[in-house]
Amino acid sequence: MRRSRAAQAALLTFLLAGGSAAAPLVAQAAKAANPLQASARALEPHRVALAKDHAMVLRSQFGLGEPDAFVTRLSFTNTQGQAIVRLDQTHQGFRVFGGQALIHVLPDGTLRTLTQGVQPGVKVEGEPRLSKQGAVAIALRHLAPQGPMTDAPKVERVVFPAKFAGGLAFTQDPVTGKQVLDRKRLVHIQPEQPFVWAYEVRTRVHNRVDAPSELTYLIDGRSGEILRVDNALHTARASAPAQAKAPFAAPATGNGLGFYRGAVTLATTEMNDGTFSLWDNTRGTVGNPQLSGFGDDGSGWAPTGLQVWYASHDASGQMDWNMWLFQGNAANSWGDGQVWNRVPGTENSANGQTAAVDALAAMTTTWDFYANVFGRNGMDGNDTAVFAQVHMNGGYMEWYTDNASWSSWAQGMSLGQGSYPGNPKGLLELTDLDIIAHEMAHGVTDATARFVNAAGLEEAGMAEGTSDILAQGVRAYATRGAGDPGNAIPATGADWKIGENAGHGTPIRWMDKPSRDGRSADAWYDGLRYLDGHFSCGPLNRMFYLLSEGASATQGATNHSPYYPAGFTGIGLDAASRIWFKAVTENIVSDGTGSLTFETAREAALLAATDLYGAGHANVLAVEKAFSAINVGLANGQAPRAQVAFKDWREGDYVEISHFSGWSNKEFFPQGETVRPRVKVENTANTQVAWTIGGPSMYNGAESMVGKGGRINADGSWTTPMEKGWWAITATSQADATQFAEGRAFTINLDADQDLEQDAVDMGTLAFSWYLSNGLSLAHSVFNAPWVDDGDVGAFVDAVKNSWLPK
Amino acid sequence: MRTLGCLISGLMLSLALACGGGSNPAKTQAAPAATGLAYTDPSGTGWRLVKDASSTPTRVVLNLVGPTGLMTRGAGFNLLAPASVKYGTFHVDIPGTTHSTDFPIADTGVYQLLNTDPRDPWTGDPIPTHPLEPTLLAGGVKAGHILTVGIFQKDRRATAKDSGVALARIALEFDAAAGLRAGDILPLTVLKARHQAEDIGPFSVSPTVAMAEKAHLVDMTIALGVLRAN
Ligand SMILES: [Zn+2]
Repeated sequence: MRRSRAAQAALLTFLLAGGSAAAPLVAQAAKAANPLQASARALEPHRVALAKDHAMVLRSQFGLGEPDAFVTRLSFTNTQGQAIVRLDQTHQGFRVFGGQALIHVLPDGTLRTLTQGVQPGVKVEGEPRLSKQGAVAIALRHLAPQGPMTDAPKVERVVFPAKFAGGLAFTQDPVTGKQVLDRKRLVHIQPEQPFVWAYEVRTRVHNRVDAPSELTYLIDGRSGEILRVDNALHTARASAPAQAKAPFAAPATGNGLGFYRGAVTLATTEMNDGTFSLWDNTRGTVGNPQLSGFGDDGSGWAPTGLQVWYASHDASGQMDWNMWLFQGNAANSWGDGQVWNRVPGTENSANGQTAAVDALAAMTTTWDFYANVFGRNGMDGNDTAVFAQVHMNGGYMEWYTDNASWSSWAQGMSLGQGSYPGNPKGLLELTDLDIIAHEMAHGVTDATARFVNAAGLEEAGMAEGTSDILAQGVRAYATRGAGDPGNAIPATGADWKIGENAGHGTPIRWMDKPSRDGRSADAWYDGLRYLDGHFSCGPLNRMFYLLSEGASATQGATNHSPYYPAGFTGIGLDAASRIWFKAVTENIVSDGTGSLTFETAREAALLAATDLYGAGHANVLAVEKAFSAINVGLANGQAPRAQVAFKDWREGDYVEISHFSGWSNKEFFPQGETVRPRVKVENTANTQVAWTIGGPSMYNGAESMVGKGGRINADGSWTTPMEKGWWAITATSQADATQFAEGRAFTINLDADQDLEQDAVDMGTLAFSWYLSNGLSLAHSVFNAPWVDDGDVGAFVDAVKNSWLPK
Repeated sequence: MRTLGCLISGLMLSLALACGGGSNPAKTQAAPAATGLAYTDPSGTGWRLVKDASSTPTRVVLNLVGPTGLMTRGAGFNLLAPASVKYGTFHVDIPGTTHSTDFPIADTGVYQLLNTDPRDPWTGDPIPTHPLEPTLLAGGVKAGHILTVGIFQKDRRATAKDSGVALARIALEFDAAAGLRAGDILPLTVLKARHQAEDIGPFSVSPTVAMAEKAHLVDMTIALGVLRAN
């Protein structure tokens, strides 16, 4: 029997619920990029044990003892024969949130330890009072999805360091349509002890009415308070996959005609009934966590390999939320090379298969790129199967139509069917190689650096930039000639554009000069974090482009940088890719709270380059120059530049600790008052700045979150807008116009007593409603919420301080 | 203690000076440049600003004192001094942290500014205490050289306090660059002053209409002394 209509993914994925135990490390008989890697791989289990022992010895240095341990989350052997071991820190057998050690075991047995992620002095008292079910209920109450939860939340008991309390969420104001602070999810709670028991509840919203999300909640195990919310994907690997049955089905070779790739040979599978499916079962031996939810239907199918599925549609053309494998093809010949006509019911016709041909060819190329160039087994390094789902559309605000995404939860991709040409600004089907390579690279970083990919963090730009960077490698890799063994990246073949074909000639992003899109940044500045990651990746993409191709000394040239005007010679795509891949997979430690900066990225890249080429090597110096060219750090011998920054506005004050570390350069101001924001100018005698309202982020995906308001007066003061909300303000150095910083102001209404004057007397009115659950008047809250708590008190006092403190 | 009459004459003098033009300048020698400030307390037993012992020749520290026996939960006011007088601040290190505040108002320890119960008044769950717990003690100088200060108990579970003592402090500082002459009268005006009364209703998870009716501050008059350059 061939696999018949697949049941709804919604029902099946629930089978995966529960089990949060770390996935077992499966020894792989995988392809190695070179003989050194192959031989070193045999020693990996031994080296992992060595690394673990070493971490245990280090405990005393960090005030850790008997209850503390380190467990292996991930290990792999790199092309230099080094074992890279990522260890999760545990206390009494429970994972410590954000706690990790990264240990490199060199071929000669030398150990190199990156301990910035180790949480020192862990001590936690008593036992949680809350049950796992109770924690899930609290998280779901706050998540409050409108549509069904298609995936059961996953919950794990953890030790939570109080310093990570925070997290910030936004919601859409129903009146203005603007993104505003979501008071409900604004985390004010600060645990009493430095470490508390907590539950990490990971949720996934994937339905037709809600915006798709993978929110992670940290719930206090005693009080039930929400300690932290992250609107990001976290990747403690998905639960242990079902044991894959040996398929009866047989590997086969099919022919495909893609729209983007043209004629290609495809690795397919012959099913038990003799027909073929778009399933490459020669790559990825470990069952996919989402596909493993599907039962065995006797067709010979298994949840392994690379698979391409499609969304089916109702008569109106809307995705009906069923997913199906491309199958039942008797001739093993796929696609017609034409853009799909989007007629419902023809998803698996020759015309509908075209997108799937492009997808499977891209997935195979990408998989082989990692295997052959870096000796990496699949995205997660554990040979886990990956799937793509094409022809997706609809969802919350048509989210799926012109989008592609990678789900760590599912180890798979959602690829939109596009809306072009019906929508002239839309895209063609999102199945081109660079898009798929970009998405699959998210799988690599989710398993290694684990960037927190959330708005408001520089890490988000690193996540997106790394995906673009590796996608260029894949692109070049796909152009290698016949007979090329494929263990190096060809020097040519990168086009430094992302999504140009899907964009029918207009790229989604340019990497050589990202600002060509009128949105992305070319260089780092304080405030870059306010850009969505797809635009804040600009500087990293440009760094990589310049590192690979070189920078010109000619002013006005695309590859000229005012931050490193002398220019320099590039080191080529292969060397540049190896350095960045190594930095991301081996040297970057994200604590899960989004604290990485571009400065961290530079250090990780320098460490990688030095390890690959030796200290002082031209490639190492080129990394310094390339980062200098994006305003991050200085090249050897370069004089310090002027710097403008909103840093140290807070230094861990109440607003920062109770809201979110990201508040370090955000301030409260009263609405409609004349104020003078503070900014720090360094490395120049002339510390004058010119203020402007708005900022670069206003053109970059964050438009709905922030406004440009009020006016800058002749004396440099700022008259704030007469309304509540987020505003961008920018300070540009008068000594150096290339140096500027964008800050955030949140204006609030201090006039709690409604006497048309904002002053300290208004504080008395806050006191009337403090902690009353329903409050007395919306005016009593500076956020116009129906209650008042220390969040209002902190914000009020902060606004007074920022605006009226005597100079 | 000076009499009320003296205070009134002081104010009249300043008004006359403000009118300026046309009057005959006295042919006497100009007063010498001032080097400090002097403050003469007002009389009376109502709300008033009286000089604190910590004052120095160049910094007049003023205590806000209310009527004895009047139980209150906090007070705030806006004060206008001439631009030639600076508003001083109080540097306070927050114990157990590296933080400090520099507000132009200081707490004297009478009002209970912190949450008084380590349980959430609504749910009864424990709530954390933190050295940086924000309080309703703040102040600043608004456009127009207006000092605005306030000190309020945020937790209605704390009892109201007798107002007949120093409840908070502000400071007025001599500005050497202002060109003041000894004897210059520096007029002070309270533009707004309010306090929070004792009875604002008990804590309730669902506030009542009666509570809502009590949810406004009580207007008051603050008596001021005479500030003079010398
Ligand atoms: Zn991406």
